[in-house]
Amino acid sequence: MATALLIILFVPLLGAIAALVAGRRLGAQTAWVVLLAPALACAATVWLVLQFAPGTRTVIEWPWIPSLGLNLTFVVDGLALFFGLVVSGVGVLVVFYSAHYLDHHYRDHGRFYCYLMLFMGAMLGTVFAGNLLLLFVCWELTGVTSFLLIGFLHDKGESRAGARMALLVTGGTGLAMLAGIVLLGQAAGTYELAALLDGVAKGASPGRLNAAFVLIALGALGKSAQFPFQFWLPNAMAAPTPVSAYLHSATMVKLGIFLIARIFPVFRETELWSPLLVTVCFGTMGFGALLALMSHDLKAILAYSTVSQLGFLLGYYGMASPAGAQGDFLHIASHVFYKGCLFMVVGIVDHATGTRDVRELGGLRHRLPLLAGITAVAAASMAGLPGTLGFISKEYMLKEKFDYWEGAAALNWYPMVLVVLASVLKVAFSVRLFWGVFGGKPRPELAKNFHAPGLAVQLPPLLLAGACLAFGLFPTVLGGALDRLHTVGLHHPVDLEFHIWHGVTREFIMSMLIVAAGAGTFLLLQLERWRWARVPAWLRFDAGFEAAVDWLPRGAKLLGRGLRFDRQFDFLPIVLGFTVLLLGGFWWRHRGELWPGLPVWADINPLRAFVVGLIAVAVGMVMHMRRWTSQLIAVSVIGFLVTFYYVLFRAPDLAMTQILVESATLLLVLLLLARFPRSAELSEATRAFPVGRQVMNAVIAGGMGLLVTLGALMAMKHKHAEPAGSYYLENSQPLAHGTNAVNTILVDFRGFDTLLEATVLVVACLGALGLLMRYRRTAEEWAAGAMGPAGYGLGRTTDQKKEKKSP
Amino acid sequence: MMWETAILIGLLFGAACFLILQASFVRILFGFILLSNAANLFVLAMSGRPDGKSAPIVGVAGAAPVDPLPQALILTAIVIGFGVIAYLVILLYRTFLDQRTASARELFDPARERPEEEQA
Repeated sequence: MATALLIILFVPLLGAIAALVAGRRLGAQTAWVVLLAPALACAATVWLVLQFAPGTRTVIEWPWIPSLGLNLTFVVDGLALFFGLVVSGVGVLVVFYSAHYLDHHYRDHGRFYCYLMLFMGAMLGTVFAGNLLLLFVCWELTGVTSFLLIGFLHDKGESRAGARMALLVTGGTGLAMLAGIVLLGQAAGTYELAALLDGVAKGASPGRLNAAFVLIALGALGKSAQFPFQFWLPNAMAAPTPVSAYLHSATMVKLGIFLIARIFPVFRETELWSPLLVTVCFGTMGFGALLALMSHDLKAILAYSTVSQLGFLLGYYGMASPAGAQGDFLHIASHVFYKGCLFMVVGIVDHATGTRDVRELGGLRHRLPLLAGITAVAAASMAGLPGTLGFISKEYMLKEKFDYWEGAAALNWYPMVLVVLASVLKVAFSVRLFWGVFGGKPRPELAKNFHAPGLAVQLPPLLLAGACLAFGLFPTVLGGALDRLHTVGLHHPVDLEFHIWHGVTREFIMSMLIVAAGAGTFLLLQLERWRWARVPAWLRFDAGFEAAVDWLPRGAKLLGRGLRFDRQFDFLPIVLGFTVLLLGGFWWRHRGELWPGLPVWADINPLRAFVVGLIAVAVGMVMHMRRWTSQLIAVSVIGFLVTFYYVLFRAPDLAMTQILVESATLLLVLLLLARFPRSAELSEATRAFPVGRQVMNAVIAGGMGLLVTLGALMAMKHKHAEPAGSYYLENSQPLAHGTNAVNTILVDFRGFDTLLEATVLVVACLGALGLLMRYRRTAEEWAAGAMGPAGYGLGRTTDQKKEKKSP
Repeated sequence: MMWETAILIGLLFGAACFLILQASFVRILFGFILLSNAANLFVLAMSGRPDGKSAPIVGVAGAAPVDPLPQALILTAIVIGFGVIAYLVILLYRTFLDQRTASARELFDPARERPEEEQA
């Protein structure tokens, strides 16, 4: 079993590598090499289905990071195998289809198949994952690979926009899901699915479980394009058609359904499960059907119909009783068959005629008889006509709704009404899809570009349509197969038997009424000439989403402007002003205990006060002088007076050092000022701040000075009883054999600090040297401005500026 | 408490702040020089009143010596302050060579164009 699983998981990755290698040489023929991968994976899945005992769950573990207790855990049960079959089986058909669809008109075949195989590998990983974190990683990988696939035709703007939208929506909701997973994992104490499915989380607090469920459901709703995220799916239709057929009918959008089915046993009993899923998803079902009816692009019709059908499938789990769901695989399989088929048909029609607009198409039944037959069957299955699998699916769907109605749950009418409404609309657009393309009079303008598709490209849709028909006529066969995939916890213990004919029941009558109403709607709208030019913008949401995405950088820029990131010299006043307010406010609140008391004349040393007076005069000169040199002299005077102050403080070493440093500083700054032209100094008057700003600066500076004065007084008041310095005084001679305590501290007691101090000087020297050795600015650097380029997406870059100048 | 020292520190600190808030790089440099003096004096004030005490030389009979630790700290601070000032001086010189201005306001002016003589 483990070997088969390994094949399923790793063959797609090998296929991706093979595609890259083969793509360069083989071009369009790469598909035949790649086809092996899904075929092998599919065969392995089928083998697994035959091997495993129905209704069991096998956990396969490989050590990954054993020291962290992280293992690669995979779960093989009915649900995983069902989705594994869908993913690998449709994968085979899609690769086969692509081999014919992506002809030599396309480029980069290797890259395409590489992405496709990577996507398939990620899908299979998600489906078989046995650990929530592993599931999340694979889930996000499908998002990334689908981004690559949707944007495969990256020279088209709409492809890029569609890919980005899909990535943002599914990735963003995926983050919510991660939060939910972590919440659940913390609540349950494990991330292993097997334990969670067995009900480990049951004891957790309901609030946590509800929050975890809503977050995880958000991820599922985003991936499955449910309201309000439905807009990304129609935009993702910019992808090549095989991608749409694979991702947007059978696999990626089904992941949301898979996830809901996966966590069904964990969360079914939380009180939000039913209300949330039923309201949102059945609402989306009706909404999507309406939009499908209003669209004209064949792919858009299919996209909105997929949104609608996904809404049903998700809402279905929402309605299911805690004992389990029934017949869910039937609905999913039915949708996979007809939707995959119809996407492929649309691709062929697009290829043959060059248009996908249903208003321009018509009368193709004579030119494409086989395709018309295929489409008729698939559209009939979508509409739910008798004889197709869609009919059976709809019968059971209506039965469920009737049961739910009778179950008298809250909102019991809601699913019924929306399902009937959506079904009527679905019949109408199914008929339109078929009739618009193949019915009516032949259009001569289509004949010009027409080139008939080969038989081989029609084979995959033919197979799928055949499945719709065959399983529709012999539903017990499918029923038997799906029974094998019965999953514990998810499915109702009593098995459902599918029959083609149940007699004239209320479901049958309802179904027929729906078909009649749908046909009537179609005819009515034909007569009314299908008034909508397009889906109205306010119903599409995508323009709003794009605007929001565009507003993000703009909002960031505004915020940055608000924070004045481009005006550095505004930072300092803000920081200092804030400090003054904060510390000043603190002092004012505690002024009672912090007030130092008025000065006493006897305390003031006249000599020191005299020096302070001299320094104050020098400070006034610094403030008053306008010439740089005079100011420098005043600054130097302050420095020398401070030297004298050191002498008064009985600090001969300080005084000596200060004299040396002060002289060196004076010389250095004088040298610097001598290098500046007179104009630089004179132009300063014009660059000075306005009076208001200077007053503000003075207030801030005055506040700082006052605070520091008070701080100094406080520091002097609260003196430590035993200063650390007495230790050095006592030990200076016995330990360091020196009499000057300051010197012994520097070179003996704290010698390493002094070494580091010398290092600082060396670093400053090296830095200064580097600055002096730097070359002059280049022309490009000048062009980029003082701050250099502003960064990606903001402002002009050097190149743009050059381009503007060159003409 | 030494009111005269506290006032001196506050005076120097306020003046330094005012200079640092200016647009001219040269004034900012002067502000920095004053700031390091003010900070040194603040630490020195911690050593307490020097009146009636002697320099921290042991082994000399007479008055009790002042606390030597603040002095050692300040000595280090003076030297490092000088290193930083020297670096700032060179940085300012370099900025002027590159930008042809000694004004922070002009340097960050978005409307500023490159000088004419460089455009050839």
